[in-house]
Amino acid sequence: MSSAPQRRTAFSRVVPLADEAMARARLSVVPRTRPRAHRVPFVTLVSVILLGGVIGLLLFNTSMQQAAITASRLEEQAQTLSARQQGLSMELDQMSSAQNLALKACGLGMVGASSAAFLDLDTGQVRGEPVAAVAGPCGVAAPAPQPPAPRVETIPPPSRSGGAASTGRDQGERLGDRGTDPRRNRSGAPSDGGGGGRR
Amino acid sequence: MLRLRVGFLLIAMVLSVFAARLVQLQGIDPREYAQMAADEGSVTAVLPAERGRILDRNGLPLADSVDGLMVVANPSVTGPNAPGLATLLSKRLDVDYFETLRRLRIPEGAEGHQFQYIARKVPATRATNVLEEAEARGWKGLDTREDPVRFYPGKDVAANLVGFLGTPYEDGSARPLAGLEAAFNRYLSGVDGEATYQVSKGSRLPLGDTTITPARDGNDLITTIDQDLQWKAQQVLRQTVLGARADSGYAVVLERSTGDVLALADYPTYDASSPYDPSVPAGEADANHNSRALTDVYEPGSVEKVLTLSGLIDAGKVTSRTKFEVPGALHRQDRTIHDYFEHGTIRLTLAGILAKSSNIGTVMAADKFDRGQLRRYLTGFGLGERTNVGLGGETRGLLPSGAMWTSQTADRIAFGQSLSVNALQMAAAVNTIANGGVRVSPSIIRGEATADDGRVVGTDTATERRVVSEDAARQTALMMERVIDPEAGVAPRAAVPGYRVAGKTGTAQRVGEGCGCYDGTFTVSFAGFAPADDPEFTIYIVVQNPRNGQGGGSVAGPAFSTLMGYTLRRYGIPPTGARPSQLPVEW
Repeated sequence: MSSAPQRRTAFSRVVPLADEAMARARLSVVPRTRPRAHRVPFVTLVSVILLGGVIGLLLFNTSMQQAAITASRLEEQAQTLSARQQGLSMELDQMSSAQNLALKACGLGMVGASSAAFLDLDTGQVRGEPVAAVAGPCGVAAPAPQPPAPRVETIPPPSRSGGAASTGRDQGERLGDRGTDPRRNRSGAPSDGGGGGRR
Repeated sequence: MLRLRVGFLLIAMVLSVFAARLVQLQGIDPREYAQMAADEGSVTAVLPAERGRILDRNGLPLADSVDGLMVVANPSVTGPNAPGLATLLSKRLDVDYFETLRRLRIPEGAEGHQFQYIARKVPATRATNVLEEAEARGWKGLDTREDPVRFYPGKDVAANLVGFLGTPYEDGSARPLAGLEAAFNRYLSGVDGEATYQVSKGSRLPLGDTTITPARDGNDLITTIDQDLQWKAQQVLRQTVLGARADSGYAVVLERSTGDVLALADYPTYDASSPYDPSVPAGEADANHNSRALTDVYEPGSVEKVLTLSGLIDAGKVTSRTKFEVPGALHRQDRTIHDYFEHGTIRLTLAGILAKSSNIGTVMAADKFDRGQLRRYLTGFGLGERTNVGLGGETRGLLPSGAMWTSQTADRIAFGQSLSVNALQMAAAVNTIANGGVRVSPSIIRGEATADDGRVVGTDTATERRVVSEDAARQTALMMERVIDPEAGVAPRAAVPGYRVAGKTGTAQRVGEGCGCYDGTFTVSFAGFAPADDPEFTIYIVVQNPRNGQGGGSVAGPAFSTLMGYTLRRYGIPPTGARPSQLPVEW
């Protein structure tokens, strides 16, 4: 308890200083000087970004879909075109096949060479025997009907008047082979031979 | 407090259930679930591999593939419009009207009420056009599916070699039925690819998962065939066979130095684009689908004398001028050997024996062979051994051996009977003489390709072996030239104007199919090469059972002349201009 008076004296000594300091150092709420940011632009910005994003995404998606549709349409077109190209090249191959060319050439009056002669440029000599080409029948190039041709023997049905007409020609041809005119051998047949059976 | 515990317990239980499920999903069968997830909304489409082409030596297609479609119908939908649809389809797709009509209105309850084939292997453009047209008229119920078309622009040109494809298997893979198509199916086929993508309500998701395994297209098979020459060979052969009223024939054109088969014709043959011609009986059609030049065996006859005599010269037993006194008939152990022409004792050189095609002279000359020597030469020439060019069904031929090789057999073999060959074998053997005594194995595939039986064949694997000396080959060629000589030889009609030609006729008795004996029919043939002093091509023509009573010189000779003339012109081979062989044939 002996220290109380001491403290007091000390305090009393300090007081004049403290009052002043206290007066200076007293904290008080400082009024906010920074003005509060406006909410509206921020919200607008965010909304714009959001909206822009959504719309962009939507547009992007739409364009992707569009592109996909275009792609599949073009793919289909490419497929059609390549199919057509293949079809055409198939036709071309068929037209340029050896058989077809030979037939067409022969039809135009072209003739296959029968022998070749060679002119030696150094000596001026002709080697080989040049022979004029001889035209042959064009049918050689065509797939000719094969001689042991299927023999069609039609036996006339016993009592049908319609069937007789169709066999008339075969008979006529067989008779014709023997040197007789088929038409004269067939009593009551129309004058144009088997014409009736050909209908 | 209690509430909290109960809460924790509940949460723990739920979490354990989750954990157990997780272990089940990820640990036990993750694949199945992944698969199920993938299947949900995803579609897998097969990307068909394109079948390789078969090309001739100049790159022209002998067989090619085109995108094709099959047109299918759903009769439950097409029924009401069937007549109109059938008219359209029959007009545009060349299908039968009545059959199509029947298919389009298969009644309900009957089999196939939902699905009918209308047309197969239709070029894609034509099929889609027809479908569009039908749709435009409001007719529904048609659809298309993939059905690749194999087409053969040459039709019957090289059909005997190329083969054809039948109706595809259920899984859509090709069903090769003959020729190279069958022998090299795997090489030509390629491997189908696969595309998996996600779909939603029938349309593909643009950003969905897509996995594509691209198809690996088949390889092109390049042959050594020259399409135009092949066509010409077939023409000439057909005319020859028909002209002689024969059963069948083969023609082989070989490039002398490489052994490349430039043409290999068979008659009768077929059109590869419609292999089942209704006018040809089924059994015959099947035979036509093979290359008879490889599958038929026959006795070569006198053409084989070329091999016998060249062997004799090579062995040093004779020369082309060795003199023989040839009697009118030769009595051997079991039978008498005659020549095809009546003669008394004539005096022929070895060249004369070949030029006149004397059986008696050949047997007398062959007597000079040591034991087993002739057989060794014939084996060297490739007789009795498959050429293995890559086509299936090739025959080995028949070269007697061991106990079968008696002295009587040897006599007949010396002039080409009692042994059997296929046409390509024989052509390659004669080509050996043209090639200076070195046999080049013939090839039908350019480069190399692996056949389905695993064998690698082609020009890259061709082998060479010396059979007779160069001098023996040259002497034989000079002797063969005398065959064509109008006075000395028997086949003046095989001459090619302006060129030196070496050749040999053959007329052999045929073994009948039923009796296993000679049935009185003949095989006539001609083998030769030109220019004789610097050969470029060897041609061999065989005609089976001609009924016009003529031999090798007059049936096959002119065909040889035409075909050789064409070949020489086509490849621009000028005549050598040298004087033809003047070897004496008599003394």
